[in-house]
Amino acid sequence: MTVLLPLLLVLNQAGPAPAADDGKLPPSLEALFQEKDKEGKLILGDPERTYLKKLPPHTRELIGKDVDALTVGGARHLKALLALELPSQNAAILFSDNCILCHTDPESQKKIHLFSADPKATQSSEILNLKSFVSDVHFRRGLSCSGCHGGSPANDVMTADIAARWPKADVRHTDRTWIPEFCARCHADPAFMRGFNPSLPTDQLSKYRESQHGILLLQQKDSKAAQCVSCHGVHGIRGPKSRQSSVHPQAIPETCGRCHADPKYMAGYKKDDGTPLPTDQLASFKKSVHGKALLEKGDLGAPACNSCHGNHAAMPPKVSSISQVCRTCHSQNGTFFDGSKHKQAFEAHHWPECEKCHGKHEIMKPADTLISDARDGLCGSCHAENAKDNPECNATARYFRSSLLELVASGQKLRPQAEALGERGLDAEPIVASIEELNEAIVQTRARVHTFDRGGFDQGAKLGRDAVAKSEALVQAARNEQRYRRNGLLVSIGLMSLLAVAMGLKIREIGRRRARASQERQGP
Amino acid sequence: MTAPLARTAKPARRSLLNWLLGVGVIGWAASVLYPVLRYLRPLSEAGAGGPLKLSAEELATLGKSHFVIARSGTRKVIVFEAAGELRALDAKCTHEGCTVQFVPGDSLLWCACHNGKFDLDGRVLSGPPPRPLVKWIASREGNDVVLTMEKA
Amino acid sequence: MIEAQPEAPASFGERLYRWLDARFGVGKLVEFARHKEVPVGGHSMVWYYLGGTTLFFFTVQLVSGVLLLMYYQPGEATSYESIRYVTAKVPFGWLIRSIHCWSAHLMILSLVVHMFSTMILKAYRKPRELTWLTGFLLFAIALGFGFSGYLLPWNELSFFATAVGTDSVKSVPVIGQWLLEVMRGGPDVTINTLYRFFALHIVILPLLIVGILSGHLIFIQVQGMAHGMAHQRPDRPGLRFFPDFLLRDLLLWLMCLIVLAVLVYLLPYGPGIPGMEWELGKKANPLAPAYPGIKPEWYFLWVYQLLKEFPPHLLGMEGPQAALLVVTVLMGIWALVPWLDRRASRGQPSPMFTDLAIAAIIFMSYLTLKAWDIGGHGVPGKLPDPRSTAWACAWITLGLASVIAVLRLLAYRQRWMYFSGAALLQVVLNGILGMDYLIAGGIALVVAIGGLVVSRREPAPQMGVPR
Repeated sequence: MTVLLPLLLVLNQAGPAPAADDGKLPPSLEALFQEKDKEGKLILGDPERTYLKKLPPHTRELIGKDVDALTVGGARHLKALLALELPSQNAAILFSDNCILCHTDPESQKKIHLFSADPKATQSSEILNLKSFVSDVHFRRGLSCSGCHGGSPANDVMTADIAARWPKADVRHTDRTWIPEFCARCHADPAFMRGFNPSLPTDQLSKYRESQHGILLLQQKDSKAAQCVSCHGVHGIRGPKSRQSSVHPQAIPETCGRCHADPKYMAGYKKDDGTPLPTDQLASFKKSVHGKALLEKGDLGAPACNSCHGNHAAMPPKVSSISQVCRTCHSQNGTFFDGSKHKQAFEAHHWPECEKCHGKHEIMKPADTLISDARDGLCGSCHAENAKDNPECNATARYFRSSLLELVASGQKLRPQAEALGERGLDAEPIVASIEELNEAIVQTRARVHTFDRGGFDQGAKLGRDAVAKSEALVQAARNEQRYRRNGLLVSIGLMSLLAVAMGLKIREIGRRRARASQERQGP
Repeated sequence: MTAPLARTAKPARRSLLNWLLGVGVIGWAASVLYPVLRYLRPLSEAGAGGPLKLSAEELATLGKSHFVIARSGTRKVIVFEAAGELRALDAKCTHEGCTVQFVPGDSLLWCACHNGKFDLDGRVLSGPPPRPLVKWIASREGNDVVLTMEKA
Repeated sequence: MIEAQPEAPASFGERLYRWLDARFGVGKLVEFARHKEVPVGGHSMVWYYLGGTTLFFFTVQLVSGVLLLMYYQPGEATSYESIRYVTAKVPFGWLIRSIHCWSAHLMILSLVVHMFSTMILKAYRKPRELTWLTGFLLFAIALGFGFSGYLLPWNELSFFATAVGTDSVKSVPVIGQWLLEVMRGGPDVTINTLYRFFALHIVILPLLIVGILSGHLIFIQVQGMAHGMAHQRPDRPGLRFFPDFLLRDLLLWLMCLIVLAVLVYLLPYGPGIPGMEWELGKKANPLAPAYPGIKPEWYFLWVYQLLKEFPPHLLGMEGPQAALLVVTVLMGIWALVPWLDRRASRGQPSPMFTDLAIAAIIFMSYLTLKAWDIGGHGVPGKLPDPRSTAWACAWITLGLASVIAVLRLLAYRQRWMYFSGAALLQVVLNGILGMDYLIAGGIALVVAIGGLVVSRREPAPQMGVPR
């Protein structure tokens, strides 16, 4: 009795236990697990059961109700939905939204209205990809079909207000002018957007109106121009930080290129001066140092199209503005340039600063040989016309080129020397470190070309020459060490061989002595 | 008797041979002992793998400009004074590997190559660098400044 | 001849000797030493020197190892860096380290030749069984030294070689996983593995080797060095150990030292053969992908290759387990040879065991050559083709085996070749005819056993006459 009493008290203290989740499925849902396909195999199996068990009980109830209401049409339908493996909140949205349920049921939809989970579905358009839709940023935040299309997720039939939302089907696929304002209904409303993401800008529409695309679409009613959907997509919109987004920095060149690299699409569009708009920008960009950095090396600090052209206010940058854009990263070169003679010359001629020598889309890694005073070379061709009275200019160009080539050649000579010494067992690390310093000095020197002045240039070139001298001294020291080792080895081998010879002679002498002694014993 | 005669003839050659042997042994011993003794004598500079010490030249620069870029082999570390204490960060920019500079007026580290900016803790403030600068620990030991990597 | 000599005053050496003798009876030792002889017999004297050269190289290892220990610091941030410091900054550090690495390989090479020569000359026969057994243990310890020392520089190569090498122990039945974790100090190779290997390399194995080596040497002193087999031995007096043999021995050691010095100068990082190179390279990074073409040291290559020949499952066992079983059985036979070879214990010719040694050489050479991917046309980025490797290695082994067979036949009149023939058969079946290695091995084993049975029924064969 005395034992039972404390036991009873303890049990009482525990309080009512929460309803145990025994993983049971609602009966209608359970019934679906018995459904078989044409070959007699069960359609749903353990993977589906495991996933359902992970969902909270109320979600399972929800699915059960859907099965009862026939909005989940059968086992195959359910299997496609469960295969998405959504987290429980998103699963709850999915299974309470009749729009999605109907439009994913192959037995109740025409193919052109069917959201398919099969990425290779040929008949449905690519905007009806179920997998992509459930990762859509709108869906994940709870804005489902009815948020844009109208109607209500509780409806199980199409209603008239859904069709009334925007222009008729035959019009709306050819006339796209309604799109920017449609998206802006939410996205240009700061109060509304504050409820979802306060830091998201809400000025896209006003910027768009000023952009080339906006002018074409909204003023000239040209529906070929890009609008929100062209770049962001419709049902699979992701934020620019996501690698799968069409507006991720590494995806932007291709996204812009969909129109701008297509000569047939761009036929008829002209620049301000009347020449046709080029379509080789994407190809040029991919070859350029920026394109390679962004697309091949994955350097997200490298510029994509929007870094120079802007996002929603996209316009070809004007002459003076591009060099300011370059300076966001290449500030040091910009500062050097600003203090140089070329600054006034370029301003006087209204030349775009960086672009004049480096190009705009096909910016390649500048070779030192670019600096050329030859008649058709980069410097010479311009100087011939505009610096005719200044032979100094060409001489400076020659000096820059020869200094840089000399420094680079020294580095190329030193590296294999360092490697060879390392292989022979010498300490090549200080030499390698010194060559690194030389390389850094070469980078500095190349930047200082933009001062277009020997004094400014020499500040970098001097560091380079010092590094070369230091490296050469280190190589010489290593070679001396190698000679010391070789001589030391020869001396020690000499001494040891001397000992070996002496020992050999001693062995022979002992042998002879013993032979003579035994001879004597036998002898007389 | 032949024996004593034989004995007197041998000693000269034998002693030459023994002398040769002795010289050989000493030569051998020298070839072995010389490297070993030189090896055993400790060097004056910092030992293996451990902390980096600033050279005299680097210490002087630190005293004068309140920052210095210390190099050891292929490693480079920027040591600077901030808020009265000595701080150190890896001087290799995480973008393309250029050497960063200290900008005391703006309390930041600047990489001239692509205008990358780091704060004094190494975090990226702006520009293309993808990762922060690795931290080092700088401590004064007597007249020296010793640099060690921060433990992971 | 008695010559009346005047009493010369005793030299310092003589007085010291008498002082010691009065206290410790060193006279007996000196007497023993004066009579110690090295047998001169039917075979070349050169084989008697190999134990000594192994001992010499081991002494070099001891001295260079202690010197390296003055600067080496085990630790995540210091192992690699301290070796780099020794080779780059410490005067003659490069010399000491390179000597240590070269001498390790030369020691094991010398040990292997010594082992095979004692096997073929049957020095293991009664009463020297324990000398053989201790020798076998010394061999195992030497391999342990090689394996544990390899990790200590903590560079990429040694890290991955250790990971691959220790991985195979998990196939040991029952205790495999436990053994793996004890060896590695955890489930993976980490710095803890280095700490354990360090303890192994500088304390545990040295203590073991000193103990067992002392036994090995004491047995030799007590029993004297083995003579050649009675039927081969003409009656000749032995060579006096002091000073004749000793001087020759020391001369040989001196020449080994000269060779070592030359090798260290010309090839400071080894001959560049995979499994025999020790450039410091990059520091170990456990997160980096495995080193392509990683190979263990050359003396482990045959086991490594054998493991590769086994399929994932065999006869209800896992492949690696089966392979380890085969290796254990072979090693067991090798260790127990003195007891298995009853004919030699009786002093009778035992051509079967000579042939066993040759078979072992053929077996291990073929596997080692294959492990080096010789003839596989491997280039960086493309794996070598195992079929063409097997083909090339088979022809090389065939050539080697033919030379040995001709030598045995003509120079030594040895005709018992069933075991070596079976080993060669396996090589031919696998390499030239493309049969699976294990199936070829099965056939060869049947042939070997058949040969054994057939030879038992034949009368005792004539042994070769000495040269």
